[in-house]
Amino acid sequence: MLEVFKAIKEKHLEAKKIIDGATAEAEKIKQKAAQQGLSVYEETYKAILSQVDQKAIDVKSKIAEEAERELEKLLSNAEERAKEIEKKAEKNIEKAVNAVLNMVLQ
Amino acid sequence: MMESTRVITEMILQEAQKSAEDIIQEAQKSAEHTLEKQRQLGVQRANELAQSLLKKAQREAEVDKLRSMANTKIRTNWVILSKKEKLIANVLEEAKNKLRTLTESKEYIPILEKLITEAGIILGGKELEVLLNERDSTLSLKLDKLAREISEKTEFETKLRLSKEKPKVIGGAMVRTTNGKVIMDNTFDDILGRREKDLRSKIAKILF
Repeated sequence: MLEVFKAIKEKHLEAKKIIDGATAEAEKIKQKAAQQGLSVYEETYKAILSQVDQKAIDVKSKIAEEAERELEKLLSNAEERAKEIEKKAEKNIEKAVNAVLNMVLQ
Repeated sequence: MMESTRVITEMILQEAQKSAEDIIQEAQKSAEHTLEKQRQLGVQRANELAQSLLKKAQREAEVDKLRSMANTKIRTNWVILSKKEKLIANVLEEAKNKLRTLTESKEYIPILEKLITEAGIILGGKELEVLLNERDSTLSLKLDKLAREISEKTEFETKLRLSKEKPKVIGGAMVRTTNGKVIMDNTFDDILGRREKDLRSKIAKILF
């Protein structure tokens, strides 16, 4: 009978060792995960921000291109307007000169 | 007896093994959960910042665009104003050329005499000096007749004499009191200068 108890006690101790080992291993796994978690956080954060930087560059480029097009349009309109002004003025130069002479000589 | 003991002890070990496996499995799940949680946290934090970074980039680009547009508008307006200014200056220059041509024509003498008379009347008559440019000084002007006209208008006896001073002007005349204190400038140059604002406005209305 004593031998039976002794055998059971031994196995209990062995079982406890197995569970203690598993608990220690589990703790290591969790600690490692906690450490890796920081890296995962940082890598994810950096990867997304890197994509955002590229998006920001794309947004700026797109707006700059829009601006470029609008500026070209403005300049082109201004050139067109200047030509129209000159064309209209050329037709009326004589009239304007005569108006000046009238004002001076009146 | 030995057999039943062996069964019990094996059960104890099996349960321990099972528990150990469960503990490890649980730890692995927890580890995976931790990593996923951190990944999601990284995504969330980065996305929070991303929105403001993108908005900032967009705002900066819009401001740059507006600045460029404003500068270009100023530049184009300046180009158009310069163009108009050049055209107005051309008209004034052409008018001066016509006045120079006029001074060489026979129509000029009555105009010059009118300018002298007007100036004399404005000065109130009496003893006056007429200043003409080099060329106009050689013209045969009826200064006595003009003096009489001034006398009639001002009711003061008027004498006009030609000054030795010869201003460098396109044409027209300066008339001054003999003491030199009061002068009426009726040269084309001064009339153009005096009326420049009105002339420019008039030219602009006609040209544009």
